[in-house]
Amino acid sequence: MTDPGELILIVDDEPDMCWALEHLLNKQGYVTRKALTALEALKLMERHRFACAFLDAKLPDMDGLELARRIRERAPDMRILMVSGYFYRDDLAIQEAIAQGVIIDFISKPFLQAEILRVLET
Amino acid sequence: MGESIASLNNSPESQRYQQLYDMLLEAIPSSVLFIDRDLRIVSANRNFLGKNRRTLPDTIGHRLEEVFPAIIIDQMDFPGRIRQVFEKNFRVKGERMTYRAPGIPLRIYYYSILPFSWQGVVELAMLLMDDVTEQVRLGEEVRRVERHLASVVESAQDIVLSTDLEGRILTWNTAAEKLSGFTLHAVRGHNFFDFCADDDQGEMERVFTNLQAGKDAQMAEWDLKTRDGGRIPVSWIFSPMRDHLGEAAGIVAVGRDLTERRKFEAQLLQTQKLAALGVMAGGIAHEIRNPLAVCSSAAQFIMAGDLEPQFQRECAEKIHAGILRASMIIENLLRFARPTVAPDIKEINLTTLLAETLSLATNQARIAKIELQAQLPREPIFISGMEGLLPQAFMNLLLNAIKAMPDGGELGVALGQADGEAWVSISDTGQGIAPGDLNNIFDPFYTTAPVGQGTGLGLSICYSIIKQHFGTITVESGADQGSTFTVRLPIL
Repeated sequence: MTDPGELILIVDDEPDMCWALEHLLNKQGYVTRKALTALEALKLMERHRFACAFLDAKLPDMDGLELARRIRERAPDMRILMVSGYFYRDDLAIQEAIAQGVIIDFISKPFLQAEILRVLET
Repeated sequence: MGESIASLNNSPESQRYQQLYDMLLEAIPSSVLFIDRDLRIVSANRNFLGKNRRTLPDTIGHRLEEVFPAIIIDQMDFPGRIRQVFEKNFRVKGERMTYRAPGIPLRIYYYSILPFSWQGVVELAMLLMDDVTEQVRLGEEVRRVERHLASVVESAQDIVLSTDLEGRILTWNTAAEKLSGFTLHAVRGHNFFDFCADDDQGEMERVFTNLQAGKDAQMAEWDLKTRDGGRIPVSWIFSPMRDHLGEAAGIVAVGRDLTERRKFEAQLLQTQKLAALGVMAGGIAHEIRNPLAVCSSAAQFIMAGDLEPQFQRECAEKIHAGILRASMIIENLLRFARPTVAPDIKEINLTTLLAETLSLATNQARIAKIELQAQLPREPIFISGMEGLLPQAFMNLLLNAIKAMPDGGELGVALGQADGEAWVSISDTGQGIAPGDLNNIFDPFYTTAPVGQGTGLGLSICYSIIKQHFGTITVESGADQGSTFTVRLPIL
């Protein structure tokens, strides 16, 4: 459960995807920060304590799952969600990442806004 | 020797001449007989005796019919001719004689009969016989070989034709008749160029100029016109025909019908294209789902209702832009996937073509964490080419470069022009090509990729496409130094 008012990190190299997630989450009362690259995301983590992160699978400078692992090392209790059009839900890489606790869930693009909110509320 | 000459003078000097004369007769490589008016043989040299297996006693003093078979004497009319030599003092010019006699191998002679006169009176007739058996046999062998060669040329599946140095057709084999529908009779004396498609005329002139200048075999691919108005793709090899002095005397052209090979190549192209599409599928899925996700989110905001007018408009714009983007990606993909039916040569803006191909590969580069450094000029660069083929060549090079950098890197793409050529360079910072593989990379089915991960067709197809555009493709590479492929194409 991520409470409204908490800080959420959005990492996607597609500015319009950040736009969509920002609007959705801000409307629900979450505060968001966005990063277009993995490096930007790691930098933001130095200054902020995020409750949750939405990661794209393919970033220009790093693989999304790799970024998830690095985040996990720094913030073991952060909830990390992968939102991507690259994988299937039952993709082996995704299943492994969930099983290892690297990410808590996977949502494929395009998604229903309700799915995003539901994951935040569980 | 004959009595009349021998009795003239018996001085030592004369005896010496006699001796020299005998030596000459013995040494001469022809058969020499002296015959008197009564057709008796008065002298025969060693050559004659040897060839006819006779001795002096059974020859000298004998009549002609005792020495020569009757049939030869009749056929050649020796008595009549010898009489003419004596009476009219003129020579019987060379004629051919086939000499058949029991126990002697068949020989063929050229013979002449010459008057041998002393102070205006014909004393003797000299029968001079040159053995030409070997020459005749050689001539027959040459004719046999000629007939054999002609039958080889005639039964060949390939077109074999010859022209003079100006290109006028001299010979035209059965395969040429069958393929073109024109008979030898119809084409002989006409210029070979008239039977080739007009769009190749410029290159034909270049090839023939080279051949006239004595250059070696020239290769080309020109279409042959057919009698029913069609065209057949033919791969030609032109070689200069040289005369005995080594001077170019004409041109031989051997042509192979490429129809079947073209069909096979088209199938191969399509197969390879599908393989490339498979590689791109992941990147494309990712790339299309992004705008779809933006559209979907924006639509859901609108459906939720109660929006500020400005945000509502923003959502509508995002939907519109997202749909356009997804559609553009699909269109590029379709354009790439479309089979190339008739390769249509037209003016192509290489700058645009490369940018479009690049946009398809960008997805792939992005998911492989590869930084794209593109340096395309603003201005268009026009070349003459096949719109359906060139993107495939560049896409193969781009996908190869991406594949060479499994751990990310930099993909450099540059386009420019120099010296009447457009050049495209595609470089990677990947693993490079081992020196041992460099010579084989353009060979079909040559691959270092694990089974199932590469067909080994990509570069061979690039090579073939670039060659069809009269261009070149070169590579510079070293292990762990990355590779740079450079394509050069003639500018329009």
